[in-house]
Amino acid sequence: MKNTRTNAIPASWRGMLDDPRRAAAHRSYVDEWEKKINSFVQIDPRPGNGEGALAGVPYGVKDNIAVKGLGLSCGSKILEGFISPYTATAVERLEATGARVYGKCNLDEFGMGSSCENSVHGASSNPWDPARVPGGSSGGSAAAVAAGLVPFALGSDTGGSVRQPASFCGVYGLKPTYGAVSRYGLVAYASSLESIGILAGDVDTCRQVFDSIKGEDPKDQTSVPWEDRSGESSSRRIAVLEDLSDLSPGVDAVYRKSLEGFREIGWEIVPVRLKTLDYVVPAYYTIATAEASANLARYTGIRYGYRAEGEDHADMVRNTRSEGFGHEVKLRILLGTYVLRSGFQDQYYGRAQRIRTLIGDEFSKVFQGAEMLLMPTFPVAAFPHGESGMDAFQQKLADKFTAAANLAGIPGLSIPAGMDGNVPVGMQLLAPAFCEERLFSAAREFLSVYEPARCPGFKEPS
Amino acid sequence: MSKYQSFIGLEIHIHLLTASKVFCDCASRFGDEPNTNVCPVCMGYPGVLPALNEEAMFMSYLVGKALNCTPAESAIFDRKNYFYPDMTKNYQISQFHSPVGTGGWFDIDVEGQVKRVRIHDIHLEEDAGKMIHSASGSLLDYNRAGTALLEIVTEPDLTTGEDAEAFLQQFRSLVRYLGVCDGNMEEGSLRCDGNISVNLTGKGLGTKTEIKNVNSSKFLRLALNHEIRRQKKLLERGEKVVQETRLWDEASARTESMRSKESAHDYRYFPEPDLPPFRPDEAFLSRVDGAMTELPLARRTRFVEELGLKAVQAELLTEEKSTADYFEAVVALGSEPQNAAAWITGDVQKYLKRREEEIASSSLSPERLATLIRLVDENRINRNGAREVLEAVLEEDRDPESIVAERGLEQEDNSEELAALVDKIAAENPQAVEQLKNGDMKPIGFFVGQIMRASGGKADPQAVQALIRDRFGL
Ligand SMILES: [Zn+2]
Repeated sequence: MKNTRTNAIPASWRGMLDDPRRAAAHRSYVDEWEKKINSFVQIDPRPGNGEGALAGVPYGVKDNIAVKGLGLSCGSKILEGFISPYTATAVERLEATGARVYGKCNLDEFGMGSSCENSVHGASSNPWDPARVPGGSSGGSAAAVAAGLVPFALGSDTGGSVRQPASFCGVYGLKPTYGAVSRYGLVAYASSLESIGILAGDVDTCRQVFDSIKGEDPKDQTSVPWEDRSGESSSRRIAVLEDLSDLSPGVDAVYRKSLEGFREIGWEIVPVRLKTLDYVVPAYYTIATAEASANLARYTGIRYGYRAEGEDHADMVRNTRSEGFGHEVKLRILLGTYVLRSGFQDQYYGRAQRIRTLIGDEFSKVFQGAEMLLMPTFPVAAFPHGESGMDAFQQKLADKFTAAANLAGIPGLSIPAGMDGNVPVGMQLLAPAFCEERLFSAAREFLSVYEPARCPGFKEPS
Repeated sequence: MSKYQSFIGLEIHIHLLTASKVFCDCASRFGDEPNTNVCPVCMGYPGVLPALNEEAMFMSYLVGKALNCTPAESAIFDRKNYFYPDMTKNYQISQFHSPVGTGGWFDIDVEGQVKRVRIHDIHLEEDAGKMIHSASGSLLDYNRAGTALLEIVTEPDLTTGEDAEAFLQQFRSLVRYLGVCDGNMEEGSLRCDGNISVNLTGKGLGTKTEIKNVNSSKFLRLALNHEIRRQKKLLERGEKVVQETRLWDEASARTESMRSKESAHDYRYFPEPDLPPFRPDEAFLSRVDGAMTELPLARRTRFVEELGLKAVQAELLTEEKSTADYFEAVVALGSEPQNAAAWITGDVQKYLKRREEEIASSSLSPERLATLIRLVDENRINRNGAREVLEAVLEEDRDPESIVAERGLEQEDNSEELAALVDKIAAENPQAVEQLKNGDMKPIGFFVGQIMRASGGKADPQAVQALIRDRFGL
């Protein structure tokens, strides 16, 4: 299966936006769904160049990725009224294939959150069950894809922000290798951890979009030339975690079943232990918040976005930031400022970086004995909105399976793997850096043991 | 041994002469309409990323080499966090843990003595924009935001304002030699802060104050010397020096405390995650080696030792690389070095100054000056004629020889005619003749002058003098 290029996007999407009749019919379908799920913050199909493999195909863009002429709210009041004067490299590359931005998708403010409730545009909902969250922070992107509003959407993954909502919404979610896709145009939250990722209704679409956007970009010097390191399948060994606790019964059942599934299709199961897994969350939050405290310093109301009143310049900036940022963002800025204090850097930031190295080393060791690693994406399935759901602290602890890949810079693909009641559950496959092809190919194989269903009300485009 | 010791360290910022800014493609140019050389990157818009300008790195490594620094095998950028309205990201991309160069030195000449000043480090960073305060509020111009700024930090090895002035002047000359900075202090392309502490001899560094925003090397000298006196007086009285930033007030000729709300900064440095470490390869480093040039002090020494110039002349000639190059070109065309040096630092400079011209861009090419010097050496024209030719060359952009021919400036060596003139003037001035006969030589000058005037300036003054000595048997 490897290295065979399929023309993945279902034919029904092709040329949709170039055909006014189909576009209008689709628009009313979108509007119906939007009343229930609020996945877009702005719908404004961009003109396309009419050519290329994805001509006329609409797609969603998480609203922390720049598209010239469209808003770039990052789900925050502080960017109220801001229109992006430039376009992200990933979007430019998709434009070159003829795909057309359909609109901007909702998110947790600045990508901080796991529920997509944490947005100035209001919460998004899970299309499988609107009483539940779609996951976050790329919740809008995942919900729009799951509901069939777009065949794929761009998201961003800092600690699981693509994979977790993909798991909650029953779609595919790829966090690429760090540096494989240019971050130019992705509003920075935690620069050394995040990547632009892809949410797609099927694995081949995910792969095709990845092919279109990957590769070196002179505007992002942390990007690197693409070089497939998947190699020929030599071992067919898949590592799984020996001692997994903290999983909800539903997720635990799907995990065991998918493990069996891989065995069924000829993979040898290799149990491993990741000793560093317990340190993932503290290390992740230390590094992410440190970087966020600097990255979010530019929002002051001076040059763009929301501006509060103030007696003088300092007062105006203070009021702007106080009124413009939500609680979660403020919490993380404060935390980041704290861990970077002079005299304490080694105790927090330096130690987190050392843990990060250890996590990378441990993954390397695992990949010496196995082609891939299988883990749950998130310990629970989509939880209900509001107070009855998970609290913010529990949500952070639950990032341990996803954030590990961000710390190590390796690719992760969340695939639909089963159901927990009426909502889907995803499992993630992790591979060494630049081995995305292994993930796509394994995900395709897995279709023979589990074919994901579509959410209720989903309709193929006409 | 004096009772007190003073320690001065300098922090010098230079704007590198790169065509574009350090992390984007915008023009690195000053004086344009405000906010015209800006883009989303240097404006710090959401989602943009810096892309390092290799030219800026090249110039930085070149300065590092000239200052004998150890070049970084891996130069790392850090974020320096602080809020300021003219900083677009509210952090500055700078270098802290692993700068371009560390541990170098710079030899300066202070009144004929060579003094070695250690360099702590040199690091590359982006400049901020500019605030323009007006009655209606503050305006921001971001043209300067993101331009490449190289900071050179010395160890506290200087002891007087004079040391610091010499350092700054000779450092300015160095960066102009290297072609990395125009060194213009009034326009801010070279800025200098001075750190100074005074303590009892042998007690090491004292509490330091920082003098900021000095815009000339002279003011730096005055400010530091004032500060040394001020700190000594405090210590004499048993008072403590407060660690603070002070400004030089030109009008009152004293330093004054700068009220500062931002006294205790915690910059919260951490490695810039958007820029990978810069690792210079062989090709890069050999390009740096290839761009190295003989530095001012070395050239000055060579001019004295090998060409026999006076120290003052050598200093004047080597301050600007273009002048030194010009001088060497004239010498290469056959002029005697001391003679060429005298011409360039004397008459040539005087005329250029009057005309507000630079030697390199004037119509006096090295060939033309060499010709002019030769004409004088061969006694074909005299000094006065030469001055006239020099002015005409600059004015009319023509060759000296054609000017001499056209104006009939060629010296006449008509001894008979001159002898007659000497007789005539002697007859008219018997008193002067009497003086000469009595051994008083003063009237010689008078005679020469009279004869020169009578000959319409064409006489060779040396020949005239010889004639007079002959005539009166002196
Ligand atoms: Zn720019």
